[in-house]
Amino acid sequence: MRVEVKLFGAEAHAVGADSVVVDLDALATCGDLRDAMRAVAPALASSLGWARFAVNGRYADDSTPIGEGDELALIGLVSGG
Amino acid sequence: MLTREAPITVTIVEGALGALGAPPRRPDDPGCGAWVVFEGVVREDEGGKAVEALDYTAYQPMAEDQLMLIARDVMRDHGLSYLMVEHSRGVVPVGGCSFRLSIASGHRKEALAAMDEFIDRMKRDVPIWKQPVWRM
Repeated sequence: MRVEVKLFGAEAHAVGADSVVVDLDALATCGDLRDAMRAVAPALASSLGWARFAVNGRYADDSTPIGEGDELALIGLVSGG
Repeated sequence: MLTREAPITVTIVEGALGALGAPPRRPDDPGCGAWVVFEGVVREDEGGKAVEALDYTAYQPMAEDQLMLIARDVMRDHGLSYLMVEHSRGVVPVGGCSFRLSIASGHRKEALAAMDEFIDRMKRDVPIWKQPVWRM
């Protein structure tokens, strides 16, 4: 399946875009997405070591499954306030 | 007659928050002996460079959901009566208020402790980013 991952802040700046598109196998997890993103967006290599994913607006761990149509985001260092 | 407020309100607004010196009205609740308001204001410099404004990006609605989650946790853990949080998105000029947290509780200590905990968690978990707009 093909998924789009939203990017913000330093990660969006590093890639020069506010999202990246990644191809994943069916039954993929956030851990698989992390690995796949390293390949398609090498500029995110350092962030992908620690940044969190959000699936449908909630923080997810690497074992969280990804389904077709899920809204995905990579959340790096936030800086509200 | 006592006016009961919503115990938690979370708001993200475009641009600077309301005029300085006009924070939300204190809840009309005789059980509250403490009313603590913190305002985050855009500074004129960032790392020694002159700033004209900060441009905030919020991932919504996750940002509101995370603010609400933290609010519920600190309300419960510190036994607060009311918590109001407001945050800006978009451009906030120097001197503008971009964040306001208002807490009412029975006593001072729990309000101050909750304030600190809320802000620490917000800066870790709420998907809001700021980008300086440098002064030319």
